[in-house]
Amino acid sequence: MSDVASKIDGAGEIDGGRWKFLPEWLRPRDSELAGTGRRRLVEVTLLILAGLLLAVATVNDLIEQTHVNHRINADLLTWREYTGHDYKNVSTEQDLYGHTTRDVVCGNTTPGPPKERVQLCLLMTGPIVDGRRAVHGGWYLRPKVEDVPIYRYACFGTATPTRFCGKAAAASAAAADAAERGESAPAERGEGAPAEAGR
Amino acid sequence: MDSAVGDSHPPARWTRALLVLATLVLLAATLEIVLDAAVGHSALLPDQPRIYGWLGGIGERLGYRVFLIALIAFTGAYALTIGLARGVSKRWAIVLVAALQLIVFVGPVLISTDVFSYIAYARMGVEHGINPYTNGPIAIVGDPIYKYVGHDWLRVATAYGPLYTLLSYPLGAIGVTGALWGMKAEALLASAGTLALTWRCARIRGFDPVLALLVVGANPLWVIYGLGGAHNDLIMTLFMMGAVALSLAGRDAPAAASVIAGTLVKATVAALLPFLILAHRKLAPILGALAALAFAAVVGYAVFGIHGIDLLAALNRDAAFVSTDSFPNELAHLVGKPGVFPVDHDLLKAGLVLIVLYLLWRTWRGYDWVAASGWTLLAISVTSTWLLPWYTLWSLPLAVVVRDRRLLAATLAIQALYIVHQVAPILVPVG
Repeated sequence: MSDVASKIDGAGEIDGGRWKFLPEWLRPRDSELAGTGRRRLVEVTLLILAGLLLAVATVNDLIEQTHVNHRINADLLTWREYTGHDYKNVSTEQDLYGHTTRDVVCGNTTPGPPKERVQLCLLMTGPIVDGRRAVHGGWYLRPKVEDVPIYRYACFGTATPTRFCGKAAAASAAAADAAERGESAPAERGEGAPAEAGR
Repeated sequence: MDSAVGDSHPPARWTRALLVLATLVLLAATLEIVLDAAVGHSALLPDQPRIYGWLGGIGERLGYRVFLIALIAFTGAYALTIGLARGVSKRWAIVLVAALQLIVFVGPVLISTDVFSYIAYARMGVEHGINPYTNGPIAIVGDPIYKYVGHDWLRVATAYGPLYTLLSYPLGAIGVTGALWGMKAEALLASAGTLALTWRCARIRGFDPVLALLVVGANPLWVIYGLGGAHNDLIMTLFMMGAVALSLAGRDAPAAASVIAGTLVKATVAALLPFLILAHRKLAPILGALAALAFAAVVGYAVFGIHGIDLLAALNRDAAFVSTDSFPNELAHLVGKPGVFPVDHDLLKAGLVLIVLYLLWRTWRGYDWVAASGWTLLAISVTSTWLLPWYTLWSLPLAVVVRDRRLLAATLAIQALYIVHQVAPILVPVG
């Protein structure tokens, strides 16, 4: 009976009967049994659910990106109106990790290539009102340097020197970085220009 | 226009018109991207030698909006073309795919700095006698290629296999411009080879080779990102499809050796090997793989030392990276997290292992090993926290030569989601 069944389903003689010692459901096969279609149904259902989840996540991320772009536009407009300079090369840095609305917007104080002049950085928070955001403080930066605490000076508004400017702020930022690394904060790369991403 | 008409399925007049329209859109979108890119000064272009200078002056500077609109138009025309593929003749399909690839070939490198890392690693070995498996391009600061390498990769040793590194070494000796053309030619030939093998496999398995050619060769991510960036993933897919073609010809040992060769270009393709072995249950593929592996280990060790054959270390290092376009990152944002945490990496690895175990079981019980390999490559790209558009190409050539059409649908759906994720600058431009 078992031999007959084996010949019917084609599994018994696979590899010269080498696998006969295994129960039928464990034996290898050269082609799948037709089955009732239940497995296919389960697989398709799981694939559709996974696809829907990925689609929702993608659209959610896209909407978040549009909100971020909207905020960047408001930041740029605010910086230009605040400083009275209609410069094109103004950089914005958003608090992506903290998910706050705090952005830092920096640009030259006099005409010139990006970061080649003294820069004015403004700290903006809160909602967009009439296409602009509230400036709560800021600082100046020397030419040709990155916006890190050690290079900042003349902090004003809520950008208190102990938190944002000078050596004390740099030390506390380094300590915070070390603590963050110790807490296994998310590592993220490839956030810059797409031409930088790779592998 | 008769040349666009397939012999066995003469299309209706409107089908013909749609095919012509789709073809024109595909060519126009590709030309738009390449000619605009040739103007230079775009955030979509890595800094590079001006090998494309003769194309300058025709287009306008490539901005995000134009690029994305061209990409979406390309994608729409691609969908239309593969939907009407039964009405396309062999000659029309081959000419269209060749034209798309050649247009991209003559233009600048698009989107990615990777090709400059490839050249830097080659020059490190050939010009400076520095092992690219133990040093990043920072070791050759004075070299003319250095300024073109992506900032993120300056301190990173090569993650590619020793076969690829050895293949690239001759290009390291011919100057940066020559090497760049060499890399572009390598990618073009690898793409052409992959397409030829895909055609062959589709025909052997009784599928329409024209459809297979169009699905892979006119794919927007294949053309614009894969070939546009001259990525070595195309060399990996060449060995991958070589393995499938050899297996279909009953040559299991060379098929397994081809998988190993692909692994020695980019390790991901090793995923095919267990499925190949399980499906055939013979000694030949195991011996073929072991022989190729032994040969590669000896050569790799002799040339690069122990680091040259430690592919797992490179894989583990890259697996820790997170890209903004990866699905795990999007899912993390969906549940309110700022990004992917180390525990998520472990969960993703566990999920991937479960998927692979299930596919191995299915293969043991008669499921097509090629399809199972395709699902595995797709699962790797979806669960990876470091997803780049050319990673979604891995499963594509396999998907068009298997009976399980769900794989093709899933691969194209993942690519579509990737493209959707890019369109924010169209919805809300920044300026």
